[in-house]
Amino acid sequence: MLAYLARRLLLAVITLWAITVVTFIILQLPPGDFVDAYVAQASAMGSAISAAEAAALRHAYGLDQSYLVQYMKWLNLIMHGQFGESFEYSRPVTEVIGDRLWLTILLSFAAIIVTWVLALPIGIYSAVRQYSTGDYVFTFIGFIGLAVPSFLLALIVMYLGLRLFNVNLGGLFSAQYQLAPWSWGKLLDLMKHLPVPMLILALPGIAQLVRIMRANLLDELRRPYVVTARARGLAEHRVILKYPVRAALNPFASTIGYLLPYTVSGSIIISVVLSLPTVGPLLLHSLISQDMLLGSTIILLLGFLTVIGTLLSDLLLMWIDPRIRAGQLR
Amino acid sequence: MSQVKLSRRAVLSGLAASPAAMEFLRSAMAEAQTSLSQSGLVGKLEGPTMVTDPAKWPTKFAEAPMFADLVKAGKLPPVEQRIPAEPMVWQPLNEIGKYGGTWRRAFTGPGDVENGNRINSSDKCFFWSADGSKIVPSVAKAYELSDDGKTYIMHLRKGMKWSDGAPFGADDFVFWFEDMYSNKEIVPVPIPDMSPRGKPGRIVKVDDLTVRFEFDVPYFLFEEMMAGDTNIGGGQSVRQAQKLSYGAYSPGHYLKQFLPKYSSVDACNAKAKAAGFDNWLQMFHYKKDWSLNTELPTLGPWKMVQPITQQIWLLERNPFYYAVDTAGNQLPYMDRVQFTLGENLEVINLRAMAGDYDEQERHMDLGKLPVILDNQKKGNYTVHLDLGFAGADFLLQLNQSFKADPEIRKWLTNADFRRALSMGIDRDQLNETFWLGIGTPGSPVPGESMPQNPGPEWRKKWSVLDIAQANAMLDRIGLSKKDSAGFRVRTDNGERLRIQIIAVQAFLPYPKLSEMVANQWIKIGIQADVRELERNLAMTRVRNNEHHIYIWNNGGTELLYLFPRHAIPVDPTEAYMGPDYATYYASGGTQGTKPDDPNILKMWDLFSEAASLKVEGRNKNAQEIWKILADQQIGIGTVGQSPAGLGVRLVSNRLGNIASRVCNAQHCRTPGNSHPETWYFKT
Repeated sequence: MLAYLARRLLLAVITLWAITVVTFIILQLPPGDFVDAYVAQASAMGSAISAAEAAALRHAYGLDQSYLVQYMKWLNLIMHGQFGESFEYSRPVTEVIGDRLWLTILLSFAAIIVTWVLALPIGIYSAVRQYSTGDYVFTFIGFIGLAVPSFLLALIVMYLGLRLFNVNLGGLFSAQYQLAPWSWGKLLDLMKHLPVPMLILALPGIAQLVRIMRANLLDELRRPYVVTARARGLAEHRVILKYPVRAALNPFASTIGYLLPYTVSGSIIISVVLSLPTVGPLLLHSLISQDMLLGSTIILLLGFLTVIGTLLSDLLLMWIDPRIRAGQLR
Repeated sequence: MSQVKLSRRAVLSGLAASPAAMEFLRSAMAEAQTSLSQSGLVGKLEGPTMVTDPAKWPTKFAEAPMFADLVKAGKLPPVEQRIPAEPMVWQPLNEIGKYGGTWRRAFTGPGDVENGNRINSSDKCFFWSADGSKIVPSVAKAYELSDDGKTYIMHLRKGMKWSDGAPFGADDFVFWFEDMYSNKEIVPVPIPDMSPRGKPGRIVKVDDLTVRFEFDVPYFLFEEMMAGDTNIGGGQSVRQAQKLSYGAYSPGHYLKQFLPKYSSVDACNAKAKAAGFDNWLQMFHYKKDWSLNTELPTLGPWKMVQPITQQIWLLERNPFYYAVDTAGNQLPYMDRVQFTLGENLEVINLRAMAGDYDEQERHMDLGKLPVILDNQKKGNYTVHLDLGFAGADFLLQLNQSFKADPEIRKWLTNADFRRALSMGIDRDQLNETFWLGIGTPGSPVPGESMPQNPGPEWRKKWSVLDIAQANAMLDRIGLSKKDSAGFRVRTDNGERLRIQIIAVQAFLPYPKLSEMVANQWIKIGIQADVRELERNLAMTRVRNNEHHIYIWNNGGTELLYLFPRHAIPVDPTEAYMGPDYATYYASGGTQGTKPDDPNILKMWDLFSEAASLKVEGRNKNAQEIWKILADQQIGIGTVGQSPAGLGVRLVSNRLGNIASRVCNAQHCRTPGNSHPETWYFKT
């Protein structure tokens, strides 16, 4: 077991290094650099940035050096636990991401937990009561959840909130708490704001997992061991929960790997629409303004989440499913 | 303003009073726009009145309660010591206001610094009257231009202070000129604003309150440059934010500690490293940016207390602000300005309609006007439409220096071809669809109320729909052959002539507008391909001289010399009408290509000569330039003088001293010159 963990951790480090390389290359691909984006913005403000000034800025920010040198500088910073300075914000990247990271993680976990808590029982119900009215209702809602883009759902929910209740559903905090330091009041305020974005974020995941759970469980329910268990007179809920559900659980565990990064990157547009102070909009913005170090750091962060998520889901799978455990540790 | 040609706009603005106007009004009522013209959405240009006679100034002063407490605690000097002996005195638009309240507003992120710059724009040395026509004092109280136009003397206010209480004076101008502007690492090349005819000017201290600007050639235009939204005259907020280093003055007493000149490069770099910056220059750019650095001394009505990088960008009243009302109350009335982050414009518009903002004109979408009006009662706000003065909110700029394809070049540089394109545009259809009929169709020439307008006929020149004449013109210049689909073909290889239009998403949906124009051009047999590009990529194409036609507006060109780039190719920063030519002009002929079109050379002569002319001569030159532009159509105007940019204003009914119409123009720094420091919360 320990050897397995060590092997996985080593692989994770190598994967992360590979991610830094790919990230850096991808972010250099679009034409121009931050200074170009900045010159475009300044000219929109009516300021003329001369070519010489642009060159001076490039020099000050090290953008005139070769990509390799820029990359090595960044890698060196990462080794020391730093991530450099965001050009646009003129502040260290860690400070810019700051609180947003924790709110993102909170929101992501909340969304994942909601996904599970809702998807598991609904999936079981749909499978056990296949073709019942309830199954049809859930299937219908599930397909809507899959088909409607979440940002549209967010817009609709906001519009309805405004129209029917005259409340503004955007953001994670009320105006009076936005600037306040952390307190019980602020925490409660956050709890009040959390459900809407949490549900909107969770909905596509719920729909998907319900369908997977239903399909898997339907397969399992027809297996001979289920018939045997029933024949032996086991109570129906025990029959279902103890064996087929456990076997059908695999996708739940294996989805953590992509759910973690999805809730950051997949939620960008939802976060923009709902004005959520998460990392997503920051990533979008840094890509538009070609704010290299900020963008690469966030992508690296996403990579890190994916790697951690995959590791967690593998461990979970091993715990749930003895077949996998035997295979991996051999 | 009484000579304004009658148009729907004139009716809307309530300017029509003559019998002919009444007749026009009646016919306008018959149109579908009746509700709009009766709605009173467009008011009259108005604002607070500046009291310049010292005999009428107040002698007793009062201050906001939040400062009174600080004074009592001994943390702040009393109000009479904080305001200058020669303050700026405002008679508010309607009444003396009350202190208090937070002005809630929206911003879109750290790139939206202009949002706050404009609110603090009374940190400019000179500004414009409420109607945008006259230069008025601001930070400086007066100026004189010498008879030869080579010396400009500026007089500052006695006893004026920075927001940290340090004295403000001539030394701050000298610091900017010697330590920032002349430092090649900060500003590598001189700006044209300070170098008429390429000859660099100087700033000299005469005494603590008097500054002299010296030039080698006559530079009468400089008075306008100091009042305009220019690199030299824009003020500290806008010209020293976002890594810029212009703006004529800077708080030397604070910024010296970050400059190597006052210690050493090593010491400054070490300090920068310790604070998390790579080098001193990066740190300097941060320290002099009012939107990022809370410690930076400023002059505007509000100082920043929470930076723009946060979810909420917060400004708080400046205890040393230099203006008072006629009752002696130190301005501003409102305690705070709170910008809340809204990264999506749809969301900002939605929130505005819910009444979440107390005053908001920036980011408001003209296309949503019907819904915005619908929600007035519910959101407890009133809508005002502030019409602009510029000729074109949607301007097709034809690249005159294009070379990549000789056939395309031949047509882009052919005046009749351009005129035909212009006459092939149905401006009324554009106006009804995208401006809700509120704009004014015509050429790029600015509105008739502007001093540089050459006459009403030039607003129409080649700019009225005439398919027959356009087709005849195209046939005559050698484009008579058409393919089977009815499109005109190239003269070199017989393939269809394809003109490319580059459009980016901006104040208006430019790509959609371009598609409509492309559709209209089918009738004159011209195939136009609209390319929607991201702004960065589009700019790169332009710099490489690769575009045929680029879409932008010509906002700011109503005062031609202050912002000429969207009228004539002189500024390589955004030279959509010919990057190679603009480079040639800006470099004094050392780079770029010399135009072969005598009209461009003629405009350049008129333009550069104007700097040395007095105001009448300058306006005459500008009129001549506009005549050439209207006749030559290197920029094709469509619809303008509308509220499309910054002109849809939602104001909470709780606010007082609000103008029914504010000057919506670049030089007015909308809403800056309506002086938000005089607005107040009635309830």
